[in-house]
Amino acid sequence: METLTHIMNGFAVCLQPINLWYTFLGVFLGTIIGVLPGIGPSAGIALLIPVTYGMNPTSALIMMAGIYYGTKYGGSTTAILINTPGEAASVMTAIDGYQMAKKGRAGAALAISAVGSFIAGTLGVIGLTIFAIPLTSMALKFGPAEYFMLMFFAMTAVSTLAGRSPAKAMISTILGLMIATIGIDLQSGQPRYTMGIPELQDGVGFVIAVVGLFAIAEVFSTMEEITKGTRPEIIRLKGKLWFTREEWRRSIGPIWRGSIIGFIIGVLPGAGGTIASIMTYIWEKRLSKHPEEFGHGAIEGVAGPESANNSDTAGAMVPLLTLGIPGGGATAVMLGAFIMYGIQPGPLLFQNRPDLVWGLVDSMYVGNIMLLILNLPLIGLFVRLLYIPGGILMPLIMAISTIGIYAINGNPVELYIGLLFGVLGFIFRKVDIPVAPMVLSLVLGGMMEQSFRQAMTISGAHPKIFVGSTICVVLLALSILSVALPFLMPRLKAWREGSGGDAK
Amino acid sequence: MMADRVILACTVIAAAVYLYATTLIPSLEIGDPLGPKAFPRLLGIGLLIAAGLLGLEMWKDRHEREPSAPAQARDLRFVWVLAAVTLWTGLYYALLQKLGYIVDSSLYLFALMSWFNRGKWIANAATAVLYSAFSYILFVKLDVNLPRGVEAVSWISDALIAVTNAVLGALKGLFGMIG
Repeated sequence: METLTHIMNGFAVCLQPINLWYTFLGVFLGTIIGVLPGIGPSAGIALLIPVTYGMNPTSALIMMAGIYYGTKYGGSTTAILINTPGEAASVMTAIDGYQMAKKGRAGAALAISAVGSFIAGTLGVIGLTIFAIPLTSMALKFGPAEYFMLMFFAMTAVSTLAGRSPAKAMISTILGLMIATIGIDLQSGQPRYTMGIPELQDGVGFVIAVVGLFAIAEVFSTMEEITKGTRPEIIRLKGKLWFTREEWRRSIGPIWRGSIIGFIIGVLPGAGGTIASIMTYIWEKRLSKHPEEFGHGAIEGVAGPESANNSDTAGAMVPLLTLGIPGGGATAVMLGAFIMYGIQPGPLLFQNRPDLVWGLVDSMYVGNIMLLILNLPLIGLFVRLLYIPGGILMPLIMAISTIGIYAINGNPVELYIGLLFGVLGFIFRKVDIPVAPMVLSLVLGGMMEQSFRQAMTISGAHPKIFVGSTICVVLLALSILSVALPFLMPRLKAWREGSGGDAK
Repeated sequence: MMADRVILACTVIAAAVYLYATTLIPSLEIGDPLGPKAFPRLLGIGLLIAAGLLGLEMWKDRHEREPSAPAQARDLRFVWVLAAVTLWTGLYYALLQKLGYIVDSSLYLFALMSWFNRGKWIANAATAVLYSAFSYILFVKLDVNLPRGVEAVSWISDALIAVTNAVLGALKGLFGMIG
């Protein structure tokens, strides 16, 4: 009953004119960021953090969440019209969406994306509302050892699922943790790895690292495409922006299934929207009576993955809000934003600041309605963004990144650190090292070390504390499983295929 | 494969340097049984293990995959472009305090746009100057202090803000009259 009151109060918070304005601003900017191929939700949120310093934290977080789920709506537009995902999770939408656009059905593909995204986004937020409370009651039982193991699990899951090579993702994760140890150690007061640079005493600011790793690195990649002349052509939007009755009948099942798969994958750490979209696509292709149409413009191949990557964002908010542990790059940046406002997400936040938590969750219902309105009648406006030449857009993103970093402390040295991260991020892309694990460990590194040291202090420096409770053991088992899975899966597949062959 | 070998070598070097730097941290272990070195030591060892796993992956790839076609000649032109963009951005940062945000950003953007969006001089120049001016006004109004530059150029920023304030004041007056 108390929860219901909090949920209703949340609506009172998010329906205040100022918060409605910030929800609108968030989803509007999110759609723009999603449409623009050079920039994703992580960089978008990070760039805006310094601008929101003076704002009320509830409004600022409502706006940032709006950017996060808004990018998923915008990402599909680019995927459908130029065959390039505007945002990584739209990668599967590009396959059939672009084929539909080539056949003159771009309007139907865009409309089903928007409607599917709306249904999935809303179902996802309902899931978030339902699951948040039971998870917070469980999280209240967590001590430092459990928190350490939870962060350990999040990192192992991200490491094994983030890229093609688990070893490279592990290198990225540990390098992030190492960077997080730079600065004055909070417990002993000793400076660590500062190399005598005063700016490093407070550690490497995560906004600087994120802007470098995501925004600047992406600009370099796009500049490379421009130099090599590999920028794709845009398909013009023609005809009615709606789908036929038959197309709707074919899409409704994929939308429901995509919403459920997306939400579940969103809650789990590591996987994220891209994997949710891929899984839904494969699932729909298997279920379809016409699998041969997939890859040639099947509307199910647009509706399913687009729904999955939208409900995934609501799912990803579950561990972030209830446990204070993000499961991927964008939610890691969101956690960074929470911490900058002096707010620690987790079970206690639900008790101490129900207005903030439920105001934020409820704003997502409102934001999804706004996005549906923005993405149907106004889609033509957003499509115009695709016509801005990359040669103009990329330098502008560099200049925006400069303000984003400079606005934090007004310190030019931090600009060079950001540039260094940009070059590092670009090199990582070139050699297939994923950057999301590094961002996650950069944000969680400090907390992880604190939990580790607190747990060891409690246990008198005996590591048995990390297997001292059922929760710890389960999390350890999950961590081992997530590391072992990529090595076991090919063997299991080979064994199954082998035994199948024998049977024949 | 060559890239993987370089990553492997860099990872081992990074782990060794980090572990060495860990030994240099002075430690006062009062009320903290582990001290500031223990967690970093684990990370150093973890990175070495990750390097070992990468070595294992490379070994497996070499044995399991078909010998791949000889790598295509890489287009190294972009390496020079990237180096130039990085240096140009570094110069932009170095001159930010002296030239001020508006002048420095206009020059930086105009040069980059002239390279990547060739031949459209007027559009590039207009975008560079207008973006710099409008973003300056926007961020100053959002209480983000961007550099005004030395005296010879700071008047540009001051004049821009004075004009903005005058326009905003006039608009307020106008709406006040209508209201």
